[in-house]
Amino acid sequence: MAGILKICWLFLKIGVVFFGGGYVLIPLLHRIMVDQLHWLSLREFLDGVALSQLTPGPLAMLATFAGYKAAGFFGALAATVCIFFPCTALMLFLSSRYQKFRRVEAVNHFLDGILPAVVGLVFAAAFNLGRTSLSSTRDFILLGAGFAVLQFTAIAPMAVILGAAVVGLLLKLS
Amino acid sequence: MKKDIQKIPLSQIAATFFMIGATGFGGGMAIVALVERRCVLEKKWLPHDEFLHGLAFGQILGPFSLNIATFVGYYLRGSIGGILAATAFIAPSFLLVTALSYLYFRFHQVPQLNSALLGSNPVVIALIVVAGIGMARRKAARLETAAVAASAFAASVLLGVSALSVLLLAGCWGLWKGWRTGRGR
Repeated sequence: MAGILKICWLFLKIGVVFFGGGYVLIPLLHRIMVDQLHWLSLREFLDGVALSQLTPGPLAMLATFAGYKAAGFFGALAATVCIFFPCTALMLFLSSRYQKFRRVEAVNHFLDGILPAVVGLVFAAAFNLGRTSLSSTRDFILLGAGFAVLQFTAIAPMAVILGAAVVGLLLKLS
Repeated sequence: MKKDIQKIPLSQIAATFFMIGATGFGGGMAIVALVERRCVLEKKWLPHDEFLHGLAFGQILGPFSLNIATFVGYYLRGSIGGILAATAFIAPSFLLVTALSYLYFRFHQVPQLNSALLGSNPVVIALIVVAGIGMARRKAARLETAAVAASAFAASVLLGVSALSVLLLAGCWGLWKGWRTGRGR
């Protein structure tokens, strides 16, 4: 049982280095949790990564898992709050600056230039996901069906995603 | 802050992001697509431009699913709204991971949800593509902007350029364009 305070401090620090995005987190947490503190075995760590990817939250939900192992429910809570605190605070700060500087003309030009690039990055995210998770004809059929439903009907996307998950379970896809 | 024409109740913000956090399996850009659909297209809580700006900031700062929730919440109701939206979004995942961790450390087995994910993964990609098409229709429909979108895509996918560099370059392009039209006036 590690002290809650220690957990807080540790995950606050991790939260600060976290800006680079999710995948920096895996090697970092691995070094700290497995090699240095021995809170998790390698096996547990890898299973934790798999568990956190089952959820809608970001990969950093791994902190919840590690915190749970270290100190039960409150450990999980402390780890989760602390790892997300720095980026949320920074995002709030950035959002408030944004509302202020929005009125400056140069800033507006800069932001206008960003817009189409963001669209490109959205497609890049879809492409990268597709590259790792679309392999069989079955996947492409599901993709096509999902696209048709989402683009041409008003069915809520949440229902479509959960529906597809149920289809996967029922057909026992592997 | 904006002159709030009608204030969105905090309870509605919390409920919306809780729902998104509870059903947005696929994470990351799938969450962004859901938030766009619910908050921008259906509820019209914020204009499309501002949403995309928030997405750009979110990409620079790490977990952008959480960041876009914070951004939208802040836009609607300031810091309280931002914190509330972020908390409501994370809560379902937190409860899920905690429950799964409990089961895991008790029985040392990861639940067999792989087939569920194999079913939903392609649909998640479809969701992102649909959102991308909608955004492209609004923001990358002219030849020039479409070219920027295509270059951003290519730079990210083919050359592995980071999101931050792509966005900075695009911003500079915007500055240059603004300067040119300013001079032509």
